[in-house]
Amino acid sequence: MDTTSPRLRMSLLGVVVAACFIALFARLWYLQVLEAPELSVQATANRTRTVATEAPRGRIFDLKGRVIVDNRTSLIVSIDRNELKKVKDRDDLIARLADVLTANGAPIKISTIEKRLSEKNSDQLQAVPIATDVTEEVIHRLSEYAEDFPSVTYERKTVRVYPYGSTASNVLGYTGRITAEILKKIEPGTDPDGVEKTYQPDSTVGMAGVELTYEKELRGTPGIELVQVDFKNRPVGTESYQPPKSGNDIQLHIDIEVQMRAEQALVERLDVLRGTAQRDGAIRGAPAGSVVVLDPRDGGVVALASAPSYDPQEFAAGITQERYNQLQDINGASALIDRSITGQYAPGSTFKLVTAAAALSNGLIDANTSIYDDGVYRVGNPIQEFTNAGKEKYGNVNVVRGLTVSSDVYFYWLGDRMDGTTLIQDAATAFGFDKRTGIDLPNESAGYVLTKAEKKALSNKYPDAYPDGDWYTGDNVQLAIGQNVIVVTPLQLARAYAAFANGGTVYQPHVVWKILKPNSTTTDPSDVLRVIEPVVTGTVTLPPDVRGPIASGLEGVTSGLGTAASAFVGFDQQAFPIVGKTGTAQVDGKADTSLFASYGPALSPKWVVTAVMEESGFGAEASGEVTRRIYEVLANQALTGAGIATNGSMD
Amino acid sequence: MLPQSISSRASKLSRRDPTAPLRHIDPVLIGCTVVLSILGVIAVYSATRGPGPDFSKSYLYRQTMFMVIGAGAMVFCSVVDYRKLHDWAWSFYGITTALLVLVVSPFGSEVNGAKSWFSLGPFQMQPAEFAKLSLIGVLAFLLSEFRSDIDIRRLVALLGTAALPMALIMLQPDLGQTLILLAIMMTMMLVGGLPTKYIAVLTIVGVVGVVGALNSPLLADYQRNRLTAFVNPSDTSNAAVYNIEQSQQAIANGGITGQGLFDGPQTKLGFVPEQETDFIFTAVAEQFGFVGASMMLFLYGLLCYRIWRIAQVAKDAFGTYLCAGVLAMFAFSAFENVGMAMGIMPVTGIPLLLISAGGSSTITALAGLGLVLNVYMRRFQ
Repeated sequence: MDTTSPRLRMSLLGVVVAACFIALFARLWYLQVLEAPELSVQATANRTRTVATEAPRGRIFDLKGRVIVDNRTSLIVSIDRNELKKVKDRDDLIARLADVLTANGAPIKISTIEKRLSEKNSDQLQAVPIATDVTEEVIHRLSEYAEDFPSVTYERKTVRVYPYGSTASNVLGYTGRITAEILKKIEPGTDPDGVEKTYQPDSTVGMAGVELTYEKELRGTPGIELVQVDFKNRPVGTESYQPPKSGNDIQLHIDIEVQMRAEQALVERLDVLRGTAQRDGAIRGAPAGSVVVLDPRDGGVVALASAPSYDPQEFAAGITQERYNQLQDINGASALIDRSITGQYAPGSTFKLVTAAAALSNGLIDANTSIYDDGVYRVGNPIQEFTNAGKEKYGNVNVVRGLTVSSDVYFYWLGDRMDGTTLIQDAATAFGFDKRTGIDLPNESAGYVLTKAEKKALSNKYPDAYPDGDWYTGDNVQLAIGQNVIVVTPLQLARAYAAFANGGTVYQPHVVWKILKPNSTTTDPSDVLRVIEPVVTGTVTLPPDVRGPIASGLEGVTSGLGTAASAFVGFDQQAFPIVGKTGTAQVDGKADTSLFASYGPALSPKWVVTAVMEESGFGAEASGEVTRRIYEVLANQALTGAGIATNGSMD
Repeated sequence: MLPQSISSRASKLSRRDPTAPLRHIDPVLIGCTVVLSILGVIAVYSATRGPGPDFSKSYLYRQTMFMVIGAGAMVFCSVVDYRKLHDWAWSFYGITTALLVLVVSPFGSEVNGAKSWFSLGPFQMQPAEFAKLSLIGVLAFLLSEFRSDIDIRRLVALLGTAALPMALIMLQPDLGQTLILLAIMMTMMLVGGLPTKYIAVLTIVGVVGVVGALNSPLLADYQRNRLTAFVNPSDTSNAAVYNIEQSQQAIANGGITGQGLFDGPQTKLGFVPEQETDFIFTAVAEQFGFVGASMMLFLYGLLCYRIWRIAQVAKDAFGTYLCAGVLAMFAFSAFENVGMAMGIMPVTGIPLLLISAGGSSTITALAGLGLVLNVYMRRFQ
């Protein structure tokens, strides 16, 4: 065969060329048909950038439809610290920025800018806010000479406005820029149209209070613009745009008027007491306290005060680390803790409600069973003595009188008689102690009511903290007056009294009443997306022969010989009778915890009010006084009709 | 020796003359050429009009003008009997070689680091394009003289004739055009009856040479990167990899039916570099999809088939070799250009003939097709 024949050579050439074209076809098929979906996604990602605009968060209304959290637009000038590192004339840049800000109505010193830049409050990725609420003029100047201000950014942000200042800050919480940690694990909610409310690295997120627990409702749907960019990353058009949508509004059970009075009364009383001496000479530190006002008919939280408190406005535009540290130590107490749900206290004599109910309902005593109270109760071998406060002698005492005058001896005796059983603990559990209430706020504490077995288990688990795991009659005796082996949160205490007031229903307390459509009114029923229905978590059986004697005993507390009579002098109890119980819990080495738990009006209770004040002394003189001032507002509402919500009856 | 009378008869067109050239034009070749040229003008316009709203039309006008000039060159190359061109081959080779010397001298303009162009007012001339045609001419001349009887002396003459323009083009430097000249030379020697042993030796030398060149300081780093980018597509430090990725994404973005004329976002936004020349295929593929791009490839393949067929039916060896050279020019430009855009060939700057923007390449391509048509029309004379 002639390998140089032109025919053969032409055929060979033909085969080679044909092979080339077949290869091209095959590759074209692969790219445009087989791989096209995947590569097209990459292509789209290449030529588009996502620009997210935060939508305004939903507003928050109080019980009567008053706006207590609103939004406004704020112009913020920031410096991106990472970008700033790349700037060559860094110091000149900061000087120029200070000049522009100062010349346009936002005076600022270079040293102030440096200080903000050096603060360690935020993670290093975040742009540091330099000036907030600057004028349009500033933005105009900065964008006009943008090339002179590398690393300087500005944005229009909707920020929270609090028309009532720091009122209810513990309930409302605050918002802040999302952290990398939160961003990683947060699950976005969806808006009423089913669109996911996605998060971006600079999104605002609820950090505490209702802002946190109702994040999924309050967060707006961010505006997402898919910007088409050219190969130099310059925007050339919009591929798609989804406008931002405001988040859902919410309406609280909180009555801002009652809330304001509660906070005011609490703070003022703490200020008066601080530094004075209580009955036994101990100096009252009076650093902190809390008030809970519940609606016993459905568990709605009408007020939840905690002192000291903070101004959420400070968090709206970003808070400095220095200020944050300050807030954690005000008169030795942190302003960032909501004591009404997180604080855990021995309930003292306020717990006698539970002991009395346990004894009465188990037939240990009846309304008339009485003992002689000589001021001291003795148990055990060797004999241990338990005394009344101030070694007061009350003589013949039955359960009614025992509650009214707060005879510890009578209840020591009940505790002694119920030793070896868990009757008191069982009753406490029925009233909702020893477990979280399930309120719609974060960081709630559970408290505890120890049994013999639990004390043993605790000692085995933490032998250093609880060296003695044995249960003594003394423990049960102390438990009967709410000391030693029991701590409760103020909210749990209020809920127990609410259960007693309403005849035995234990509700899960809730701060939020309704979820409303974005930008809604509180008067149009069609704006309501859903109502948070009351949840019953348990019941206490309170037949008349149990409830009657206790109610009689508590009714006497605020008048006559009652322990809180002094606090209610001059209060019109004919029109608005108040039922309550004082508590004075001993704390080793400190002044007593002052407690007062109550409800009113007596025959058709509408409100439960409890106050707990740390290192503040006797129940009546601290908490009783605060509670009375709250009832002044409540009674006024009840008697003048001012308490009727604008958007429908509470009943 | 050719009969002298043929050329004189050709000029006297007679209606009755069954061998008259105009009776034997190839409508398929002309049809493919016209459709591909129009597609080329559209593709160039779509790749250069920009994202708007003020669309640039300068490339549209220029490319249309080049097509018209090229059509003139095609007519010229087809009407003058190719056997007369036989005598002009060396002169043309001499002129293009002189231009290649001039272009690397201070007379040439440097663009993107390569001295490949003469600036003629608003236009640029790229002598390397014309050198392809002149090399085809002289190699066809030499091979037809050698009559398939090639010894080592004649081989050296062939290699030397091809090496001169190739070396000059490497000086610019323009690797792509050098490789095309190499492909033309190898193809023509294959068809021209180079003994198989020489082909084997040249192939081995070629492979060793390529491997050696890739590892030698002869190539600049960017050249090496471009040549190897398709081998290591995950090497993100390589700028050529980015280009190939963008190009392939744009092609994939066309899908089966394409994004539609002027609606290819990757094309419109300029993500693919050099998309009116080296990466013109991406513009076609993104806008017209698999349907349009494969149609274009089919037309290209059909064109190549016709050239191949004409090479076989040519009256004489000179005509066969001319056609083989033009076939190599078209087929390997297309394979390299389209293959590069799709990531299966190294990145080298080679135009897709008839489609890519460019005066010299368009005129050269149409002139080459004119020669092929010439050979076909005169196969009975």
